This record gives sequence, C-alpha cells and structure tokens, in this order.
Amino acid sequence: MSEVQRRKYSQEEKNTIFDGEFMPHIDSMYNFAYRLTFDEDDAKDLVQDTYLKAYRFINSFEQGTNAKAWLFRILKNSFINEYRKKSKQPAKVDYQEVETYYNSDDVQYQSTTDLRADSVKDMLGDEISNALNSLAVDFRTVIILCDLEGFTYEEMAKILDIPIGTVRSRLHRARNLLKEKLRGYAQNMGYNTEEEEEI
Amino acid sequence: MAMNEETSGARKLKCDDTSKCFELLESILDGEMDNSKEVLKEKLAKCQPCFEHFHLEQAIRDVLKTKCTKQEVPNELADCIRQKIQEIK
Ligand SMILES: [Zn+2]
Repeated sequence: MSEVQRRKYSQEEKNTIFDGEFMPHIDSMYNFAYRLTFDEDDAKDLVQDTYLKAYRFINSFEQGTNAKAWLFRILKNSFINEYRKKSKQPAKVDYQEVETYYNSDDVQYQSTTDLRADSVKDMLGDEISNALNSLAVDFRTVIILCDLEGFTYEEMAKILDIPIGTVRSRLHRARNLLKEKLRGYAQNMGYNTEEEEEI
Repeated sequence: MAMNEETSGARKLKCDDTSKCFELLESILDGEMDNSKEVLKEKLAKCQPCFEHFHLEQAIRDVLKTKCTKQEVPNELADCIRQKIQEIK
C-alpha cells in the first residue's frame, strides 16, 4: 500500500467508513477469494486479512471514493504475496507461456467456430464454473473482475497495477481460453447424447 | 436490445479482420466504447461472424453472471472480522 496518508479519521469516522463502505462488499470479496483459492478456509482467511489491512490503512482511503476497487486491490495483493506462495497451485511459470501461446490468430479463429450462443445458454452452472476455474489465475482474475463484478477497464488497471491496454488484451485472451473450454464441454454434451441414443 | 436489422440476411460470411472486430465487440459489451451503438448496428447487420461472436459473448456473460456469483458467504465471517477489529482498536 503505497498511498500517502491523506488525513486522520476519528474513531467514529473509521467505524462509519468500515461499516458503511467496506463491509457491504463482503459477498463479492468472498466470491473473489474463493475463486482464487478454491478453498473455503483459505478464502475466509484471505477476506479477513484483507479487512484487517483495510482497517489498519484506513487513513489512506479517501471517504466516498471507490471502496470496492480499493478492497479488491488489497485482496489481490494479499493473495499474490501470501497465499499464492503457500498454496499447492503451480507457481506463475505457466502464465507467460500460456499468454504467448494463445496470442495467435489460430486459436482465436478456432475458438469461435463450433461454439454457439444457444449451447452456452443450455450449459449448467457447474460447467461454466469449472471452465472459469480451470483458467490460469491471471486470466481467471480479469474475467471475475470484469464479468462477475462489473469493474471498468480503468478500475481493473488500478486493482491489478497494469496498463489499460494490457487489461484489454488479457481479457480478450482470457475470453478466448474460456470459449475454448466451453467448446470442449459443448462437444462432450453432444457425444453423450449420441451415446445414449445408441443404447 | 431489439435489432430487426439482424435478420436482413445481407451479411457477408467472412469477416475482414476477426481479431480486430471481435476485440472491438468485446469492448462494446464491456461498456468501454463511446458512440458504440452505430458501430454495433453496422457490424451486426453486415458481418455474420461478428453477429455470431457478439451473441456468443453476450450469452457467456449472462451465464457467468447468473451462475458464478452465488458463492455463499459463511455466516460467521462478518462477526469474526468485527471481533478482530475490536481487538486492534
Ligand atoms: Zn466482422
């Protein structure tokens, strides 16, 4: 947290900000934490740590500004600095490779061929959720922030500490990867029904 | 969004630049484009791949939003946080 301390809040002001501006985002924070860690206890710890940090650094938060983005930034940094290290997930090695590999028109073209809007609408929640969860964490994160939480590119850039152009291209790639997964599910759904018919 | 033009049947079957077009359509869906209405109308009316991509992306966003945001927050979490805050006050 590099923000300069703007002012000092009184105890009463701190309580007002915490209850009025921070706590209402607990649902979104937990959803984000759970999709990062895939573990209930880790998600709880991560959310709790985030709120404790937010309280400790409350003087660097300007009342009335975007509390949700501010909190998400803290959570994401806590995850990277603490949880990612101790979790069993593979380290970030895969990310660069994945990003480079999928930055090609081939994948882009392929991924949009035989997946149709109708088959997506027919999918069950588990399939969408699994597809999202299977993405590398950096791709998963941009989709969560944009599509689930409705952050703007500018807000995402601040949360992730990356330029807006990177937000846009990472999102685009993330969506192609997601479509690739969904396409796999859609095909499986097709095979399954055929098999059933034969029996 | 009501778009009667969508069924005009005069769309070209090959997109001139899917990479550029699709990224643009995604920015529009994300609400990140000014004056997006005219661009969108034109693209959807004239290009079949763009038309399909737009509707696919829209469907995915809808499903993500309705199916992936309902993680139930443990009851005790908020109380737990408040209690910890009391301790450091
Ligand atoms: Zn096109």
